[in-house]
Amino acid sequence: MTPDSVRNAWYPVGLLSDLNPDGKESLLLGETITIFGSDMGEPRVECGGRGLPVVPRFGHLWTSLGAPDKDLFTIPEADHPDRTLVDVGVVRVKCSPLRAVENFLDIAHFPFVHTDILGAESHPEVSDYQVKIRDDVDEVWATKVEFYQPQAAKSAGGGIMTEYMYRVPTPTCSILYKTCPPRPGEWDVIALFVQPLTEDLCDVWPWMALFDDESAMTDLIHFQQLIFLQDRSILESQIPKRLPLDPAMETPTRADLTSVAYRRWLKRQNYTYGAQLVAG
Amino acid sequence: MAIETEARWVPIAVSCDILDGTVIPARLPTGPIAVWRSASGSLYANGDRCPHRGMRLSQGFVRGETLSCIYHGWRFGADGACQKIPAHPKVSPPKTINCGPLPVTEANGVVWGAATSPVDAPDQFVGHDALRSLVVAASTDAIASACEGEWVGEAIAVTLGGQNTILLLNPYGPAEVLVIALVPRGLTAPDLVRVSTALEALRRSAEAVGEAA
Repeated sequence: MTPDSVRNAWYPVGLLSDLNPDGKESLLLGETITIFGSDMGEPRVECGGRGLPVVPRFGHLWTSLGAPDKDLFTIPEADHPDRTLVDVGVVRVKCSPLRAVENFLDIAHFPFVHTDILGAESHPEVSDYQVKIRDDVDEVWATKVEFYQPQAAKSAGGGIMTEYMYRVPTPTCSILYKTCPPRPGEWDVIALFVQPLTEDLCDVWPWMALFDDESAMTDLIHFQQLIFLQDRSILESQIPKRLPLDPAMETPTRADLTSVAYRRWLKRQNYTYGAQLVAG
Repeated sequence: MAIETEARWVPIAVSCDILDGTVIPARLPTGPIAVWRSASGSLYANGDRCPHRGMRLSQGFVRGETLSCIYHGWRFGADGACQKIPAHPKVSPPKTINCGPLPVTEANGVVWGAATSPVDAPDQFVGHDALRSLVVAASTDAIASACEGEWVGEAIAVTLGGQNTILLLNPYGPAEVLVIALVPRGLTAPDLVRVSTALEALRRSAEAVGEAA
């Protein structure tokens, strides 16, 4: 049985700009769903003849197989009128949806996987940062994360110390706030919305809300796709495929405190879809 | 007995396919392994899983006498111990972090691996050298029956391309086998090509036998 925490969560299922009035089939938590666009602007999602709740937000259509007990999260910072909103598209990855999110929360891999872009082998150190599960909003937050980046964004002119904040508002989505090279004091917003197709297959929908007047939309999309395709080669090779929630299965260090909190938070709410509970 | 299965040399690769400073994936009956040759030419094997985040070490990189994971750069030495965690350059990794070194050896141009140390050396094939490897999507029986070869212990002796060829077998599963072909030492290039071509033909017929079964 899929736990309520899994059925009642919100999931992205497609781009609002790419909905089809005739319906398009997809998978959510192993169940077939059909997504209908509409000329009237009222998209709907069906599963086995049943209408599901829908919310259009952040350029994507969101739905749930159950009865969500909280509203879909918001990203207030993304509402600034000067921001460029980027629908990056979809990347299908043969991995657990939870592994995809955890990789997004990790900075220590930048020098080795995103070499000379998001990290440099000469600057691999991860200094201490703050992590907590915020009980008031039931979200995981990591703050004061600092890392040297040769090319932090398309808009970055050269290497800089970048500051990051991570937020996990729902088990398969994460939002990253990072130093905005052209606007000191503001944060670029980069989100990873993951649609769990099955426990070891997912569609990843990256989305960004940036201050960048210079770069062409195509270049912004290419930059993010390049980064995520580098991640995919890792995600499809991890053993076991499902995210181990048993602490003995893998070896975290201080740099992994966000992932430790994320796993603990998943376990606490019994979010087990894509997870492995015991060593095996 | 599990011990008997594990303390046994299994042919896993052709020596010349692992250049100095490189790592490749290979398989033992107990699971996937990473086999690597250091800059100085020493050969090592260990489990194909970084203890940190489960990344395959066979996709990592070799520098000097160490193997590093491609995900976070964790560096492992010949004894499997983690020597360096780049995210924490000032920290000495605990001795308990280890990627599980495995016995490995070379003979006749073949790399042999084992899950636990065998007592004896691997089989010797005097006057023979490894030619190449290939993966056949068929059972070992289908391969033996397709080539009409003779079982010699766990290997098959067969005439391929006019040469006395020995086929070493490493079953990956019920219908997938790594085959390593050994041929008499000192053959000319055209002779080697003929054996190699015959081996490809053998693969096709073994796979056809498997499909018909």
